Amino acid sequence: MRVFHLALVSILLAAGVARAQDYLSCQLAPGWTQSEAVHSYTADNLYDYKDGGAEGYLIYGFAGMKSLNCKSGDNTLTIDVSEMNDADAAYGIFATNRDPRLPIARIGMGGQVQPQSASFAKGKYYVEIVVNAADPNLIHTAELQALVDKMAHRIEGRETAPEALAWFPQEDLTSSNLVPESVLGLKQLKRGYVAKYKQGQAFIVLEDSPQSAAAVLKELRARYDGASDAKVGDEAFQAKAQYLDGICIFRKGRYLGGYANLPTAQEAATQSVKLAARIP
Amino acid sequence: MKSNTSRRDFLSAGLILPVVGAGSSLGLLNLSAQTPAGNAASAGSAASPLKLSYKTLGKTGLKVTSVGMGCMITSDPSVVTRAADLGITYFDTARGYQHGNNERMVGAALGSKRKQVVLSTKTEARDKAGALAQLDTSLSELKTDFVDIWYLHGKSSPADIHDDMIEALQLARQQGKARFVGISTHSGQAQLIPWMVQKGVFDVVLSKFNFSSDTDLEQAIDAAAKAGMGVVAMKVMAGGARSNQKLTQPGALLAALKWVTNHPSVATTIPSMTDMDQLDENVKAMAGPLTADDHKLLAAHLEQIQPLYCRLCGKCDGTCAQGLPVADVLRFLTYADGYGQFALGRERYLQMASEHVAARCGDCAECTVKCPHGVHVSKQMARAQELFA
Repeated sequence: MRVFHLALVSILLAAGVARAQDYLSCQLAPGWTQSEAVHSYTADNLYDYKDGGAEGYLIYGFAGMKSLNCKSGDNTLTIDVSEMNDADAAYGIFATNRDPRLPIARIGMGGQVQPQSASFAKGKYYVEIVVNAADPNLIHTAELQALVDKMAHRIEGRETAPEALAWFPQEDLTSSNLVPESVLGLKQLKRGYVAKYKQGQAFIVLEDSPQSAAAVLKELRARYDGASDAKVGDEAFQAKAQYLDGICIFRKGRYLGGYANLPTAQEAATQSVKLAARIP
Repeated sequence: MKSNTSRRDFLSAGLILPVVGAGSSLGLLNLSAQTPAGNAASAGSAASPLKLSYKTLGKTGLKVTSVGMGCMITSDPSVVTRAADLGITYFDTARGYQHGNNERMVGAALGSKRKQVVLSTKTEARDKAGALAQLDTSLSELKTDFVDIWYLHGKSSPADIHDDMIEALQLARQQGKARFVGISTHSGQAQLIPWMVQKGVFDVVLSKFNFSSDTDLEQAIDAAAKAGMGVVAMKVMAGGARSNQKLTQPGALLAALKWVTNHPSVATTIPSMTDMDQLDENVKAMAGPLTADDHKLLAAHLEQIQPLYCRLCGKCDGTCAQGLPVADVLRFLTYADGYGQFALGRERYLQMASEHVAARCGDCAECTVKCPHGVHVSKQMARAQELFA
């Protein structure tokens, strides 16, 4: 029975590898040829490739990476495909690494194409492509756009950003993302979504149950001297904090949400009412 | 020459390392923590004086807190700001972290405190022009005219460091864009660090170093410190904060940090921190010496992981009677057992020479491979053969 299971797992995983080879090919970029074997990395040897930057992958839930180098004359093209634990994590690392000054393009769940680089997330895959050209001023945007379109077409998986990001009010929104650990720099808010605004930031965290959410809220409230009740969601408090300024945190069912870094606690509470209304 | 065995015995015996190392000046200052208004509970240290320990970063003369801050995975700038408010003086980032977004966050978070701290960044560029261009971008994103230390990022061998990269470092110093220069390294330190010392152009080395490190690395670090090079330690929790080798015992993470901060050759450390509580906890590492209880915690962790934990030191190479590449096989097993990547482990295993794939440890009466770190090699090899072959 165990042998059967192992065989089944091997077949399924081999199928995954075959799919990876389908989209991880220099042939998808006309004029480029593969210059060396595909490199594979896991969490224990990603440092060999990404140095200290490896930790940025691991914290999001990193399963593995395949890296391919292509060559065209003196130019090299590196394609890194990271497999994350789930699609939210893939979107999260994309959103963290993207250039927040540029818009997100509709490539998979989201992507960006620049003159010498491109990135996108689709399903549980996060793709990064970099051109190292002899002439660093050469523009490769069109070439990279064509390549990511082909890759995104071949990669299976979700094509929409995490649902929770749409719950944030869109007015004056500058960026939003999945924070894998310590939302707002608070250990109690383990993993959640953060939206940055021209002024202040909002967050949404999903807890296991309304009870565990209530316990976290209670623990957070105890951190802030002078915290007072706020009328948001099922229960809430507002406070003034040194590093987070005007803050309001509420619970709505299993969700914790709120605003921080607003001039006053009352403003944070006012904005939180709008956010709570958008959470289903 | 110290051996790994004596190193483990040293930990087990609970001996206390000397707090003050030769060539370093270390002082303990009592500073009152700034109590974050409305955040009293998070500042557990606020009611009592916060002790910060300072060391001198080699010949740079820079005074740094023995606990610095690795900013790489910090998402909320308030944690960086609070670290500076608490008195931490060493902050580390890199051009490549979060594709440049991390430098921007750190620059904004430090704000007016920039000139009061030692700020380091790194370049992963592989040529002079690229490196200098990256430095200009770093300065712009960090909102500063200079960085205190500029590293070549992630080098493993002298062969990785070409003359034009050294020229870039020297030019950056001449132009006042970097006060001091160095190299960051995750592997190959036993060869790289002595070369750095001999070369004489590097002020600082940023190296992976912790209680589970190989003795060869410790000797290289000791030699660098003795030669006046500033030593900054990273990966100080031995992967114990977030990997599958987690330090699970209460107090073990703090003990791991204290082990490094109390090491006489290490000036400062850069543990990654993502939240206020973690920051407050790590700051406690500066409050006192490594205790007997700390030693016991670390020794227990080493005992727990050493039968399974291959450090990839390569010392088993060539010692297998059947000629098996032992370190490689153990790495493939880690893919499956440690990270759930069975397919990758099997793929790599089957890529070995056919005679190695066909070999069975059960054919030998006795295993000739003796791991200096206590890994149960034959047992692990047999498991890999059962799983993959």
